[in-house]
Amino acid sequence: MTTRRTSLQAYLLSAPALVIVALLFLFPSIYNVILSLQEISPFQGPGDGEWTGLGNFEYVFGNPEFWSIARNTVFWLTALTVLLRIVFGLALAVALHSPVLRRWKVRGLARTLVLIPWMVPQVVAIASWRWLLDGSSGVLNQVLVGSGLTDSGVAFLAQTSTVWWSIVAIIVWRELPFVVMVLLAGLQSIPDEQYEAASLDGAGGIRAFRSITLPNLRPVLTVVVLVTVIQTFNNFVYVWLTTGGGPGTYTAVLATELYSMAFFANKLGAGAAIGLVMTMIMAVFAVLYMRATRTEDQ
Amino acid sequence: MKTSRFIAAAAVGALAATLAACGGEGSEPDDGVVHLTFRQFDPADQIQGLVEAVDAWNADNPDIQIELETLTPNNPQQFAREANSGSGPDIAHLALADVAFLAEPNILLPLEDLMAEQPLDDADSLLATEMTVLDETTWAIPWTADTMAMVYRDDVLADAGVTETPSDWPELLDVAGRITDASGGEVSGFCFAAGAQQQAAQWFAINYYMWNNDFQLIENNGGDWSVGATQDQLAGAIDYFNSYFTEGITPTSMQAITDYADPSVAAGLGDGTCAMTFMPPAAFRAVQEQVDAELLTAPMPGGLDDGSTHLGGRALGINANTEHPDEAWQVVQYLLSAETFETYDQYPASASTLTQLDVDPAEQGFVDQLPHSVPFVRYIGAPITIASLQELVNQQFSAVYSGQADSATAAQAIIDAIERELQG
Repeated sequence: MTTRRTSLQAYLLSAPALVIVALLFLFPSIYNVILSLQEISPFQGPGDGEWTGLGNFEYVFGNPEFWSIARNTVFWLTALTVLLRIVFGLALAVALHSPVLRRWKVRGLARTLVLIPWMVPQVVAIASWRWLLDGSSGVLNQVLVGSGLTDSGVAFLAQTSTVWWSIVAIIVWRELPFVVMVLLAGLQSIPDEQYEAASLDGAGGIRAFRSITLPNLRPVLTVVVLVTVIQTFNNFVYVWLTTGGGPGTYTAVLATELYSMAFFANKLGAGAAIGLVMTMIMAVFAVLYMRATRTEDQ
Repeated sequence: MKTSRFIAAAAVGALAATLAACGGEGSEPDDGVVHLTFRQFDPADQIQGLVEAVDAWNADNPDIQIELETLTPNNPQQFAREANSGSGPDIAHLALADVAFLAEPNILLPLEDLMAEQPLDDADSLLATEMTVLDETTWAIPWTADTMAMVYRDDVLADAGVTETPSDWPELLDVAGRITDASGGEVSGFCFAAGAQQQAAQWFAINYYMWNNDFQLIENNGGDWSVGATQDQLAGAIDYFNSYFTEGITPTSMQAITDYADPSVAAGLGDGTCAMTFMPPAAFRAVQEQVDAELLTAPMPGGLDDGSTHLGGRALGINANTEHPDEAWQVVQYLLSAETFETYDQYPASASTLTQLDVDPAEQGFVDQLPHSVPFVRYIGAPITIASLQELVNQQFSAVYSGQADSATAAQAIIDAIERELQG
């Protein structure tokens, strides 16, 4: 009797959360699947679409540009920016964790400064960077031309040799603080005794980093990598506001393609199909993330 | 135990209350006053005159109050989502090209009955009705009209010995080249937003060029759509615009911008490093205020040839969900009147109202060109949307500017993509 009452209470207590999950996550996911199997425009109401089976997927995969767009998403937008964030983030976290900063009493200031890019809204950051990189009046070009490094301004966002690197720079600059802060928290959780013992055994800084810091940080690194991959893979704003996918379609990614398909071509179903493909790819990472966090908990 | 039961009940109750609140429709105050929402999408800095016109209406009509709502940029899909769920503004500001999309699912109220009860003044002189009357049903009323005209610095042209603006496209290339050469490369003879993005302004110039050369992207052959240009014609158009970059007339940085009034264009006009460009009236006025130099307008190359330029603009539609169609129609009539345009700084989409306006001499280029402009109706109703055509064309032209493709390849890519869409 008591057990039954307890379980009823448990259900009642968890009901709001379950309802919210169903409304906010389950229903949109199911509706996205339904849309991906329909021909429907954004101007039509729910239920007004025509069933097309896998037609939208055939249409999406039949686009000759699809694979280059997918490659951009996987390599430039996601893999490269995550790798750079991890490398620079780890370096910065180690620097911020160093006793030197504490001795000079600037640790708090340094950490605050590192956080600044993350405080800037994405749209503002992109607008500022576009202004910095402007091919004619940009600050960076004024420095380059003024110092004699180039004769005329470089159109960073208009030429294929520089455009992706520009986007990567913007993403890394804006998103680096998150990685730094998480890794810094990880570094702070490593007991000092381990470093002291290593020091007594004659281990230098590099050896201590390889044998103590990295193994201790591995669980945190795993989580950071997975979270940033998921965050970045789905990101629409950086490419859309910086280049709109140009020049040509050189910087188009799956998220921008989804938007174009759904809201320019009015093919909501095809947009949903791209969204579903993206979701499935990210689901793999989500599973890996859950495994990683479970391992960490254990 | 009691506490946890109480918490559970409270949590469920709070959730139920929240969900109930989400589902509710706002009710109008029961004061006998009809409150209408008019949603418009032009930037707030361009609608001061409209705000004044709405205020004047509200002062004169205490029983019918308009709430002006600004939602920029244009987002017809959002209006559709709201209307499909039974809500949305009573009166909607619509791009002419969007009327057909909103008419098809009956989101807009057909206006025949209202027009029969309270006829419009000068209905016969409305421009661009082919964009708002579909299958003999009027879904919206053309409200404002615009087009792209050449915007130039007379003094900069004079410095290069140029006394008249170019009258055709080859002459534009020639004159722009002479201006750049005469300045030793300091001045761009012709600057334009050549970005790959869907909304990049080059789309308009590209179409003007095509239409003036008697071809277009798609053709409607009695309901059967086909590609309206050959590969050679498209490649020629791409080569033409690419010449501005290869000959150093237009800075490469223009390939990264989308807006006709981008700060770099405005700054160029201001400091004289941009001699000619093109933009619509609202953008022209905004740039005029920004720069400390005299700007003039002239028709685009070929702009005085009928059908070589586009008649853009806005229409007013009434939401099919409105509870006050008669009052909404009264407001629409007021917005269409000369009274509104006394303060609202736009060209009316009515030939008769247009003739009643005092136009700034600097804007003569728009006024001269408007009677020869035609709407994008030639692309309406096709299986491929105008927005998709915009994106496709801007991307492929951009691909050539940036050296990713040659003009023949890009032209074929445009044709292939259009054919793919036309086949469904």
